[in-house]
This record gives sequence, structure tokens and C-alpha cells, in this order.
Amino acid sequence: MKKSIFIEVVKTLLRVVFFIAAVVPLAWIIITSIKTPEEIYTFPLKYWPDIPTFNSYRELFSYSNFGMYFKNSFLVSFFSSIVSLFICMLSGYALSRIDNVKTKSKMLLFLFFTQMVPSFILMVPLYSVFSQFRLTNSLLSLMFIYTTTMIAFGTIMAKSFFDKVPYILEEAAMLDGLNRFAILFRIVVPLTLPGVVAIFSFSFVNIWNELFLAVIFISSESKMTIPVALNSFISKSGVSWDVMSAGLVVALLPTIVIFAFCQKYIIAGLTDGGVKG
Amino acid sequence: MKIKRKEYNFWFLFLPAAILVTSIIYLPLLNGIQIAFKNYNLFDLSQVGFNGLDNFKNIIFDEHVSFTKILFNTFLWVVGSLIFQFLLGFLLALLLKDDFFGKKIYSGFIFYPWALSGFAIGLVWSWLFNGQFGIVNDLLIKTNLINQPIGFLSDPNLAMVSVIIANVWYGVPYFAIMLLAALQTVPKEVIESSMIDGANSFQQLISITIPYIRPTIISTIMLRTLWIMNFPDIIYGMTNGGPVNATNILAIQMINKIFKQYDYGQGTAMGLIIIGILLIYTIAMLYFTSRLED
Repeated sequence: MKKSIFIEVVKTLLRVVFFIAAVVPLAWIIITSIKTPEEIYTFPLKYWPDIPTFNSYRELFSYSNFGMYFKNSFLVSFFSSIVSLFICMLSGYALSRIDNVKTKSKMLLFLFFTQMVPSFILMVPLYSVFSQFRLTNSLLSLMFIYTTTMIAFGTIMAKSFFDKVPYILEEAAMLDGLNRFAILFRIVVPLTLPGVVAIFSFSFVNIWNELFLAVIFISSESKMTIPVALNSFISKSGVSWDVMSAGLVVALLPTIVIFAFCQKYIIAGLTDGGVKG
Repeated sequence: MKIKRKEYNFWFLFLPAAILVTSIIYLPLLNGIQIAFKNYNLFDLSQVGFNGLDNFKNIIFDEHVSFTKILFNTFLWVVGSLIFQFLLGFLLALLLKDDFFGKKIYSGFIFYPWALSGFAIGLVWSWLFNGQFGIVNDLLIKTNLINQPIGFLSDPNLAMVSVIIANVWYGVPYFAIMLLAALQTVPKEVIESSMIDGANSFQQLISITIPYIRPTIISTIMLRTLWIMNFPDIIYGMTNGGPVNATNILAIQMINKIFKQYDYGQGTAMGLIIIGILLIYTIAMLYFTSRLED
């Protein structure tokens, strides 16, 4: 009995350590963002500002076009995720219902290999193709690429969710005269809604966070996404850490909100796709 | 006949995905591979032309950056990050297996780093590790562990450790999520019967739990290796390969060839080297793990 209490105490202590390690970095950035520049660059450090101020946020949105970057990022992430989700539902359903094992594994391999390719190799060829269609320096080109990069993982996740829907349900619907399309969107998708939410939020988070492709494809300031803007802050002299922290908080906020609401589904989606133990 | 018609329908549904992936990834990839064998610098596009294996030679015998050093750094970065992400992630998964008060909210706070951008995390940690005004230095001094602030990111001997710490912080939730899900698939009867046999919890872990979830362990480690190797975002945000190449890994060198020198020929050659290493790694892992199963 004594030993099990000891183990519980150790476990609780470890949980506290993990909690502190996870929370402190972000908390420190938030605290930095509500300090004045003078308070940031003092020694010894101040752990809480005398008077918390949102000046850095005001500066962020007035000094740079951060509102516009936010809008750009949101448009790109939202529409790419929606389109990609739609395509993944179709391909995931196909993968889930094709009986031929060889065809199935070939399709999976076709998708899996794309995960090994560093996107940098694709940049020049994609750039020259997009420039022929006058699509460089446009959010549309980014949407095309992002939609595609999310297909492999989204399809595999969708497949694992659709696998759980009993085929009998579909046969009944087919007797009622529904076609494949109607069966997918009226029966299978509503039954796997949590999975669909997971795929969408997973794509949204990944696209929201992408930096390097956006740096290459976007050259004008009015079309920058948030990561590109943060990247340009580094090279711009005179951006102080209070504004930088405010930018980081604003950049991280949407994905944290999405994660808070969809955590359960995202985790189910990730693990159903990957755990075959 | 009916079955054939059904298969045809499914192919039709896979088509949009196949078309997009082919046109945005596979065709550009075939096109891009050529660039690795070309002189292709955006500064001087009049000189574009095939140059055989020159790009690879220039990378391997680079006078400014020793290629063996980059390979060694990449090895340190991947292995160091992976070991600690896995061990801490496994520990966290074990801690989350049993119910306790406030578990749902707790796991929300613990898992959130997973949703952040690697580049932003790099910036966050470069501020935490700041030599003058960083909180890490301040805490270490206040607790009398050190007297002088440490240049975590400016000292070549410490920079790699610092970027790995940031990467571990980022990667622990992923392992915890995956391993926790696997742990929950271990049947209760198996564990209970081992308890009757008198095994303590550590023996149980080694001899029953870990063998049971081995497929998950192997597949998460394999996927994560590809990911860490191809993932320069954190280093890019913290040190961008410096100081004096102390944190320069293959992927960072590839970015700098492209972003700083506009040398797409060498950048692409670097990309092919990365794909080659990953292919060898994947095949070797599949081979050894399949031998392990026998």
C-alpha cells in the first residue's frame, strides 16, 4: 500500500513537470507581448509588467498590415482545406471500398511517396508552370499547392474512418436507388462527421503554419501570409520583441483555438490512421 | 459484370486526387530532378545548362562548409531529437493512461504544441534562450546554477543542444498521442494475468506492453524520422544553421542554397541527396523490422 502511494506521488510530480514545460514557453511570449519595450530589455528580468499594455498589438496592426496577412492566411487555409477535404472524401471512400488488395496498396504507395519529397525540388518547375498561367504571386497558386500537399494524409485518414461504416447500410441505400455519390454524402459522411472534422482541422493547421512555399510564391506585400510576414520581421531592422511576440501570439491563436475545439477528433483521426497495433 | 462496374465507379472517385497529385507533385518532381544536373542560378539565368555531376561535386567538396560536418550534424539532429521525443513521449503516454482529476483539460494543455508552427516555435525558443534577456538564463542565474548568462545559441558547442531541446518540446505530444492510443489497445486480461504471475509494473512494461505495441512504436519512429530530417523550420527560426555551421543540417543547407545563393541546381541536388538517404533508411528499417518479426 505504501509503495502505491509513493508511485502516485511520483506520477503527479511528473505530470506537473510536463505541464510546466508545456505551458511556460507560450506564457512567456504572452507576457512579453504585454510589456513595454523598456520592460523587455531590463536586467534582472521582470516576470510581470507594471501596467500590462496592448500597445504592441496596436503597433502590430498599424505599423504592418497584419490584419491583411491574417485575412490572406485565413482565406488560403480555409479554402484549401475545404477543397482538399472534398477530394479526400472521394478518394478515401474509393480506397475504403475497393476490394482488390493490389490496387489498394498501389494507390496507398502512390500517395505515401509524396511525403518523402522535399517541396524545394518542386519549386522551380511549379513556378514556371504557374507563371505560364500568370498565377505567380497569387494566393490561388498557393491554394493549388496546399490542397495537393494535404491529399495524401487526408485520404488515408478518411479511408480509416470510412472503413468502419458497415457495407450493409450502403447496400440498403442502393436498393432504394441512391447512387454512389449520394450514398457517400448522405450516409457515409454524416456517420463519420468527427473524422471529417479531424481531417479539416488537421489540414487547416498544417496550411496555416506553412512558411517556405509561401515565401517562394508570394512576392508582394499585400499577399503575404502570416508566416511570411513573421519571416520578414526578422530581417526588418527595428522590430522589437514586444511587437514580434504580439505577432507570434496572433499567429498561434487560430491553431490553438481549433485544437482546443477539435482536439478529440484530431487525436482520433491521427491515431486511427497510424495505429495498427 | 456487376462487380466490374462497381470498381469502375471507385476509380472515378479516386481520379481528382490522382490528377492533382500527379500534376502538382509527380510531374514537377520529374522536371525538378533534371535541375540537379544543371547549372541553374537565378542570378545568372543565361548560364543555364547541363553540367553533369558538378552540383553534387560542389556540395561534397564545398570549401566553406564541410559536407561531413553537415552529415554529422544531421545525424545528431535526427537521433538526438528522436530519442528524447520518444522517451519523453512514452513517459507522458504512461502518465496519461490512468484516469485522474482534470485529465481532459490537462491533456489539452500538454498536447497544444503539436498545433503550432515549427518556424514560430523556433522564434519563441530563440527568445527563451536569448543570451541577455532570455528567461532560461534568468532562471538558471536566480537558482544559482550558473553565474554568467550562457550563450545558448551563440556558443557553437551548445547551439545544437538548444535547437534539439526546442524540437523535443515540439515532438513529445505527437509520440504521446500515438503511443497512448496504442497503450489503450493492450487487452486488460493480458496485463491482469501477468500481475497474477507476480510481475511488477516495470517488468510488465518491458515484457508485455512494449512487445504488444511494437508495430506502433516502429511505424511512429519511422514516420517521425522522415519528418525530422525534412523539417528545418525550427532551426531556421532559431539559428538558421549558425553559429559557424554548428546547427547546419542537410535541409538547412538546401534552404540557404535556394534562399540566399539562388542556386537551384545545388539546392535540388541537396534535395535528391535527402531523398536518397531517406529511401535507404526506409528500406533498411523495413528489412530489419521484418526480420525481427520472424
